[in-house]
Amino acid sequence: MAAPIIKVEGLSKTFISKERKKGEPKRKKEIHALKGVNLEVADGEVFGLLGPNGAGKTTLIKCLTTLLLPTGGTAWVNGYNITSQEDQVRASIGCMLMGDRGLYWKLTGRENLDYFGALYHVPKADRLKRIDFLVDLLRLGDFVDRTVETYSSGQRMIVAFAKALVNDAPILFLDEPTVTMDVPTARELRKIVKDMNEAGKTILYTTHLMHEAEELCDRVAIIDHGEIIALGTTDELRRSLETEDVVQLEGIFPEGAVARMRAVPGIESVSAVSMDSGLTKLDVACRDARAMLPKIIEAVTGNGATIQFIKPKEVTLEDVFIAKTGRTLSVDTRVVGEKGARGRGG
Amino acid sequence: MAGETASRGFGLGRPGPRASLGVVWTVFVARLKIISRYKGAILLESFLPVIFAGLPILLGTAVAGDEQTAATNFFAYTGTTCPSTDAARCSADFRLYMLMGSNTFMVVSLMLWLIGYWVRREQETGTLEALYLAPAKRLYVLAGVTSYTLVRSLIAFVTAMVIGSFAFSVNPLRPPFAAAIGFLVLGIPALWGISFFFGALVMRIKEANSVIQLLQWVLAFAMGIYFPVTVFPALLRWTAMAFPPTLMNDAIRSTLLDISSIYGPWYVVLGLMLAAAWTVPFLGYAFFGVVERRIKRDQGVGQF
Repeated sequence: MAAPIIKVEGLSKTFISKERKKGEPKRKKEIHALKGVNLEVADGEVFGLLGPNGAGKTTLIKCLTTLLLPTGGTAWVNGYNITSQEDQVRASIGCMLMGDRGLYWKLTGRENLDYFGALYHVPKADRLKRIDFLVDLLRLGDFVDRTVETYSSGQRMIVAFAKALVNDAPILFLDEPTVTMDVPTARELRKIVKDMNEAGKTILYTTHLMHEAEELCDRVAIIDHGEIIALGTTDELRRSLETEDVVQLEGIFPEGAVARMRAVPGIESVSAVSMDSGLTKLDVACRDARAMLPKIIEAVTGNGATIQFIKPKEVTLEDVFIAKTGRTLSVDTRVVGEKGARGRGG
Repeated sequence: MAGETASRGFGLGRPGPRASLGVVWTVFVARLKIISRYKGAILLESFLPVIFAGLPILLGTAVAGDEQTAATNFFAYTGTTCPSTDAARCSADFRLYMLMGSNTFMVVSLMLWLIGYWVRREQETGTLEALYLAPAKRLYVLAGVTSYTLVRSLIAFVTAMVIGSFAFSVNPLRPPFAAAIGFLVLGIPALWGISFFFGALVMRIKEANSVIQLLQWVLAFAMGIYFPVTVFPALLRWTAMAFPPTLMNDAIRSTLLDISSIYGPWYVVLGLMLAAAWTVPFLGYAFFGVVERRIKRDQGVGQF
């Protein structure tokens, strides 16, 4: 692995919040958002950070981008310490953390880029060239000279992305940059991210879309409850589940079917997701799918269940995520089904 | 680990004075562009001090029976003296006293109001977090914003003086006018300092309306916009006199109307104003820094 450009050592962050329960006096509550996180991101890699809401990924990114001071531990970004060399850290990074927020709506897109370019101390002449380059690269020409208030949400997102690139920083922090973009624009943006990476930029990318992570990321960390619970290349993570087969069933399953399946010896975990069609999708992880299939079918069909579709399934990053966290990422933090033996942190 | 990786990108060097001034200028211009895209905003606020000055003049006239008596009573009972033996001139000075008071109040109030709303709006729109992601020093960003608030306040001041002079038939362009404006300018750094205090307060409590509403009236009261603060009981008087806008207001009025200042001779007033101009901005910025650090230890500047 190349030398780390981001290094995190024992980073922890504790928030104090007030709990307001009806009829009870307010109480202070400690929330441990990060618990001694250790991490290294190599120079020139695209590093994916996956985690459900409340897992701690935003807190980690905010600490690394100097927006938050950690409670314990420390980190270096581009060789600069996040607490004692904040300005150098900020000068080393381009960020898109708040979606389409963070733009001045009464300024045009070009004026916004110029404004933030100046705040990054980009010299005027370089700034103008850089903005022209970004306008061409991201095809902003049709709307960049209109005030942001007239933009669609997708246009605001792409200008926010351009803002992250205006200082030509060696490290990019991109927090779900394709949210609210239409499919072609999102695809185009991913291509640009790849090109930027090939040009030498290190990218820390968070997303809820597994296919994005699989397409873009050299390595992925799964964070949950303030801890890194899995870390590796996407292949490594998939291989970590290869001792299991996954059988996917779609149909109508009576209440308690998942619990009955879980009780069947040999079944490792079961997750269920309700689909828009009204059907339920079950992912059943087991040691030997061929041997277990009759038992699986017996467990679900006992009470009048209807199976409409059944197939063996390749292990995906989403399966890894479910196995590690007990939640699906595509539906955010919804807890699915019953967790088997390979629970959180396993 | 420092130095293990090659640094690329702009801005990794230490920015020189030119780059820092560039930040001030960029922020200043951006604020002006934004307000200019809200039609009529600057002109409309210029009418406020004229209305504010009209209230005590009309009230005084109603209580005393006529304006000349109101003016004589005012100067007699507020511990000041009417600078002229000419009764008509005395009435004009009474009107000018009120106009200058309410106009100076508007400058102070507008500067605090604008900085308070600036912080709040930036919080709500996410641009405050974007500012904190940039390496530009907060001092220069704040300098850009306060320069904008100053220019906007002064535009409103001049417009209100022109409108007020016609509305109340007064002529402020008498010989000490330049000195009075000098005191106004000298009072600005202290106002910047108070703005930093105020901005930090809004950033911390995440609410601008209630703070601004309360401070508006406390400010108006403490500054003595319609009366010299000598009419207050001792403790309140000294508290009000320690407030830099009260000093600025008194310095401007006593110079323009040629009445004695409640602080003493002109060189004492000048000395106090220089001291305030030198110390208050530093105290304000230090306070802003402390609050900012505390916020970053808690929830971060992005929370609103």
